[in-house]
Parts: sequence; C-alpha cells; structure tokens
Amino acid sequence: MNRIHKKLQKTDKVLSIYFTAGYPNLNDTVTIIESLEQSGVDMIEIGLPFSDPLADGPTIQASSTQALKNGMTTAKLFEQLKDIRKTVSIPLIIMGYFNPILQYGVEKFCKTCQEIGIDGLIIPDLPVSEYNAHYKTTFEKYGLINVFLITPQTSEERIQFIDSISNGFIYMVSSASVTGSQSGFGDQQTEYFKRIACMQLKNPQIVGFGINNNETFMQATDYAKGAIIGSAFIKHLNEHGVSKISEFIKGIRA
Amino acid sequence: MKLKVCGMTSGENIQAIASLKPDFLGFIFYEKSARFITSDIPELPKSIKKVGVFVNASESEIIDTVSKYDFQVVQLHGDESPEFCSSLQSKQSNLEIIKVFSIKDHFNFKVLKSYESVCDYFLFDTKGKLPGGNGYSFNWNILEAYPSTKPYFLSGGIGLDDVKNIHQFLKSSASKYCYALDVNSKFETAPGLKDFNLVQQFKTQILSNTSTMNYNINEHGYYGEFGGAYIPEMLYPNVEELRQNYLKIMAEPDFKAEFNQLLKDYVGRPSPLYFAKRLSERYNTKIYLKREDLNHTGAHKINNTIGQILMAKRLGKKRIIAETGAGQHGVATATVCALMGIECVVYMGEIDIARQAPNVARMKMLGATVVPALSGSRTLKDATNEAIRDWINNPVDTHYIIGSVVGPHPYPNMVARFQAVVSEEIEWQLQDKEGRTKPDHVIACVGGGSNAAGAFYQFLNDTDVNLIAVEAAGLGVHSGESAATSALGKEGIIHGSKTLLMQTDDGQITEPYSISAGLDYPGVGPMHANLFRTSRAEFISITDDEAMQAGLELCKLEGIIPAIESSHALAVFKQRQFKPDDVVVLSLSGRGDKDLNTYINYFDL
Repeated sequence: MNRIHKKLQKTDKVLSIYFTAGYPNLNDTVTIIESLEQSGVDMIEIGLPFSDPLADGPTIQASSTQALKNGMTTAKLFEQLKDIRKTVSIPLIIMGYFNPILQYGVEKFCKTCQEIGIDGLIIPDLPVSEYNAHYKTTFEKYGLINVFLITPQTSEERIQFIDSISNGFIYMVSSASVTGSQSGFGDQQTEYFKRIACMQLKNPQIVGFGINNNETFMQATDYAKGAIIGSAFIKHLNEHGVSKISEFIKGIRA
Repeated sequence: MKLKVCGMTSGENIQAIASLKPDFLGFIFYEKSARFITSDIPELPKSIKKVGVFVNASESEIIDTVSKYDFQVVQLHGDESPEFCSSLQSKQSNLEIIKVFSIKDHFNFKVLKSYESVCDYFLFDTKGKLPGGNGYSFNWNILEAYPSTKPYFLSGGIGLDDVKNIHQFLKSSASKYCYALDVNSKFETAPGLKDFNLVQQFKTQILSNTSTMNYNINEHGYYGEFGGAYIPEMLYPNVEELRQNYLKIMAEPDFKAEFNQLLKDYVGRPSPLYFAKRLSERYNTKIYLKREDLNHTGAHKINNTIGQILMAKRLGKKRIIAETGAGQHGVATATVCALMGIECVVYMGEIDIARQAPNVARMKMLGATVVPALSGSRTLKDATNEAIRDWINNPVDTHYIIGSVVGPHPYPNMVARFQAVVSEEIEWQLQDKEGRTKPDHVIACVGGGSNAAGAFYQFLNDTDVNLIAVEAAGLGVHSGESAATSALGKEGIIHGSKTLLMQTDDGQITEPYSISAGLDYPGVGPMHANLFRTSRAEFISITDDEAMQAGLELCKLEGIIPAIESSHALAVFKQRQFKPDDVVVLSLSGRGDKDLNTYINYFDL
C-alpha cells in the first residue's frame, strides 16, 4: 500500500507543505524535509524548479529562479534524495512542470522516483488526456500516484471523470488564481468547498492555493481531507530561515 | 511526387495527356526510337515542362531543337560527357538538364560525381538493348546507396501494376531524393500513343497516396507529433470553451462578413502582391513581395487581432489580455480593443518596455494598460507567462489574444486561419499576374511563426510549392546568441504546446537572442516544428548582419524600408539560388518604422 493511502486513511486535517527544492540554498532539501516531518507535517510536496512556472505566483516563481541559480537540476535533486527514506517516513510527492521531466525521460524519472521512495507526482501542465493516453501505464508500473487538479470552474461532469481516474487524492485549487495570491476565504470558497463535499467523491480532496495561516487551514479542512501550504511557507523560509520551520508549523496547527 | 510522361508523338494524343496536367511531357529526338517525334507539338499549359530527349546528338542539333520547340528541359540519354553538359549549360542558362544513367543489377554511383555541377537532375533507367524504352524495371533498392542530394527521376518500365511497389519505395530511404516518376511504354495503346485512362488512373493512385500527408492540424490538435494543449487545469475551461466554439464561430456568415469587411475597410486589404523588378534582376529570378507592411499598424499582426477580437465578442468576453515582445502585437491588440471599446491589458517584459518606448506610447495612446513582466528574463516569454497567469486569475470574462501560432490548441490553428488571408490573396493575385495560383517558392521569417503560417497556409499540402522558413541566427547559430529554434531546439513543452524549443539539457527554457525583437522567441509554433521535422519546409538561418544588409538593399533597390524581421527573409537570396523562371513570393511581414533606431545605430546613419 502506498504511503499516501495509508496516511489519508488514518489522518484527518492532513497538513501538506510545498517547498521549492534548492531554495534558499542548494543543499537545504534534506534538512527541510526532515524538519517538516519532525514538526508534525503529514505530507510533503517537493517542488522541482522550472524556469517558466506559469501556474505559480511571484513567491514560488522567485524561489524557483533562485533555486535554478543555485544549481538545482533534476539529477541533483535525485542525488540529494537518494537516502531520504532512511530518515523520513511520511509521504513524499514531487511537484513539477512537465518539460524538465520530459527531458529527463519520463520512464527514467518514474523509475528513479520509485527507487528513492517517492509516492506520487503532481504535474500541473500534464493534462488528463495526455496522461491517460501516454503516461498512465508508466506511472503505475513504478507505483506512483498521479494527482490531478480541480478548480471552482471545473464542471461537475469533469470532476466526476477526474475522480474516476484518480487513485490517491484530488488537489482542489481553492480559487481562480495562481499560487500565493489569496488572502482569506470568502463565501464563494465556502460554497465551493461545500459543493465538492456534497459530491461524495471516491477520492479525498486536499485544498491548495491561498492557505497561509491557521484560519484558512481550518476553513479548508472543515470540508476537505487536508490542505497544502506553499507560498506562505516559502515566505517564512525567506524571512526566518530553515531553523524556524517548526514554529511555522505550530502556527498553522494551533 | 512529379510525373513525367515520355515518348509523346501525336498532336491530339499530346493534348489529351496534357489535359491530365503531368509535370513534364517528353519528346524523343532519336531517329532509331519507335517514338521519334515527327509531328508538331501543340501549345501546352504553362505548368507542363516540355522535355526534349536526345541520344548523343550534337550540341548544335540540341540547341536548334530546343529553340524550335521552346523546350525548358533536355534529357541526355547517351554517352554525353560532363564537359558536353557543361558547355550546353553555359550556352543555354535557362535550360534544365537531365542526365540519364542506366542501371542493371548494380551501379557505380561514383560516375555521378563529375555530373553534379553540370546538370539539374539525374534520371535512372533500366539498362537494356536500347537507350531507354526497354519496358522493364531495375532493382530500385540499389538506390539505397545514392550518394547525392540531387533530385532524380525514377524510370524504366513503370506501369500501373507497380503502384504498390512505388508506394513501398517512396516510404524507403532510397527515395529520399526521388523527384519524379517517368513513365512511357507501359501506358501505350501503340508505340508513342498514350492511353488516357491508364495515365489518369496512375496519376490518381500515385498522388492520392503520396499526398495524403497532412501538414495541417489533425482532429486531436496536433501537427504530426507537435501541438496539443499542455495546460494547467485552471486554464482548461477557457481553452475548452474556445476549442469547442472557434470553428463554429469562424464559419458563421455574419462573422465572415464582419471579418472581411474590417480587413478591407480598416486594415486596407488586400495587401498588394508587388513584382520587385530590380530585386528580381539582382538575383536573376522572379520575386514578388506580399506587402503586409502596408497594413494598418504596419504588419501582418492585425489580421489575427481583428479575427480574435470578433471571436472574443461572440464569446461574450469583456476584457482582453495580450503579450507582446517588440510591441507590434501589443499595438495591434490595443488598436482592435479601441475599435471595439473593450478593456485591454498588455503584458510586456520590463526590458522590452525600456527598448521599445514608441510602441509602449502607442499602446497607451490607444487606451491599453501596459503591465511590465518582472519575472524571469523579463522579455517576451515572461510576458507570455504573465498573460497566462492573468487568464488563470480571470477565467470568466477575459479573452487572451495570443499573437502568434503558439500556445495550447486551438490557438496555433485559429491564428493560422486568421492569417491564412495572406496566402488566399497570393493565390488570386498570382493568377492575375502569372496565370497560375501556385508559386514555386514561398519565403517567410519565423519567430513564433504567424506570418509564415499565413503565407504558407494555402500551400501546406501542395508539395509542388517549396516553403522556406527563415529563422534568426543572431550572432551566429552556434554563437550562444541566437534564436534559430529548429537548429538549436529540442522537443519539449512551452506555453502549453509540444514543439521545438531552446532549452538546457535539464529542460529549463533559455533566452534567445536576435537583433529583431519579433524573432526573439525560444520556441516555434507546432505547425512549423512539424514542417521542419517532416522536411516539408526548408529552414534557413540568417544572422543579424546578413539581415541588416538585406534590409538596406531592399531600401536602395525598391524604395521599401522593411521591418528587421522581414529583412531576415530577404537575406535568403544571398544564401540560396533560384532559377530564372521560378516564381518566388516573399512575405514582407512588416515595415521598418519601428526599427529605425536599430537601423540608425547599426549603420551609424
């Protein structure tokens, strides 16, 4: 059984943290992952930096640009992660854009993920239809869960379809926006969270985009299985460095 | 694949076969042949080249016959030496020469070498008792070892029964330079008399299969292996709405009428197809310039923005966003938004804003908001990212007017269709001027590729029309400062499309360079990636220096100051030779006003 399945079975109010690999410093990757687990985070999304992250807001863009400047590459990330399962047991997901994965070689990428102990992938610009037609068998061969996104604009029919081909959780984008651009959830979001909750999907949903504190985390997890924090965590790293990670997590859980 | 029907002898039969429009008709001037022509040759359509076939005739006999019958081509079937061909070539510079070689079980290809520079085509025939006309074929696999790049004719006993073998052959690498099929005795009712029905069947069967290659988009949104819609789910509803509606809307009579009326009265179409006499003389070929530079706002870009603003209105959109590099597409978008009274936001890289101040001012005068793209390299690709982010944030009321044949499906196809007006006009304008709709060559510069897509569109599947795409090599293809995507790019994903793009080994998109801001894009539209991959189009790289000189040359020869983008296309004439009677259409995509500062600095004016 995949670590993601186990975690989602046992835990409610799942807290997942996104960070950009290679930021603030090239070799912070393992330290950040270990600190996050020790701080009680349930799941981690390791961001593979890309030069043109078009679904991301300024915070994640800037961290990606810096990470690339620091020398982060796909091969480098795999090298850093090779012994990660000796110290870390929570689910690890790699989130990245499709082009670097395509250049690395999709099969080689998946194989390496399996060897390291990566549990799933989130590739925002790999559309469902392409995945189904060309990559599904490869992902499954290496035991990787592929996570799809839905948004407030996604039609009910398409949500049902995405639910039918998902096998882990659905990444529920909180609002029509790029990452890091919300400040608090209004009635619109609450309506949307309720609407999705009522659909009784087979896959649990984890909310992302716009979660930046205890309040938004609690709002999101009132309806969904869990929530993902990205930009707010990177801002915290930016201001307080790698050593203060547990304080950030405590603030969210409080 | 071209078709040559050889051994024609009788007037009426010649006319009947000519009505099937083969590419070549051959007439044999060899007395021992059963197909020796003694009658007159009737007037033939201009598209058919007349070939005089000779076996060891003297030079004066050939020259006299060529002038008597007005042959465009001679086929030399005997032991004519390279020196003989060379001498003939020097005396008849407009004459094309086909040199024949006969093959039995093997062939020493080394003999071709000394003929390379003194003839235009090779022809491979079956070795037999007679020079030609033996009626059986040789083992075509021998051509696997063909060492040359010269186009050749395949000949020797080809009949209707061979269609299957020919298709197989055309799939093999041996046929890479096979230019034409030459048929004769297997299509006759008597020596020299061709069977109309047999030739017709053969032509249909050969062409139906060899031209099934579709260079346009398929039903899945791909050109070959390129294209698709690699977009985040946040963009799915917008792009899907467009995909479901764009063809329907474009086909509505109301839409067409409004589009055509605006192109005529507002843009000033049709743009002239101008015969550039002095430029043609300089390069000894027939050059027509498609004057997109004379459009309102000074370039072809407005064709697309007119189409898309009408599309946006019919989709009920209230706000327009666009990206721009040099500012031409931004100005064209701001213009149509002013025309329609719709809010307009243009994203432009911070660096481009600084170096393209006049266009920024134009957009502001036209009422647009210009937003600097501050991320990444702060140029066109980042402006595009910012526009996409805006669209993610405003999924309901906003339409994104992409400026080129790039982006997720259906954008490349939609933009190409709006730009197709360029080649639609070329067809009827050329009919007026040359009595035919198809040029021999179409030349256009390619950044993302919208002007080339428009100029190529009507000719994509007509492989008789040679397409030449010109990329910006900057300081040199391998200088590290270049935008020659076909030469330097690898397959990947950029701005929602699978195509060729310049990137690091790790898949990070790199920053291109060209003196021309409009060619300064790290990718190329998926249509062009496919034209490159399938060798349907020739791709030529032109450096900054070559382009600037070609631009200045056009000023001096024709009194036209071209955009530096178009100057890249013009520089092709120094790189590649055309035949004197070739009809070459060049898309003069924009005017040079916007580039005046660059010209001033470059030439120290």
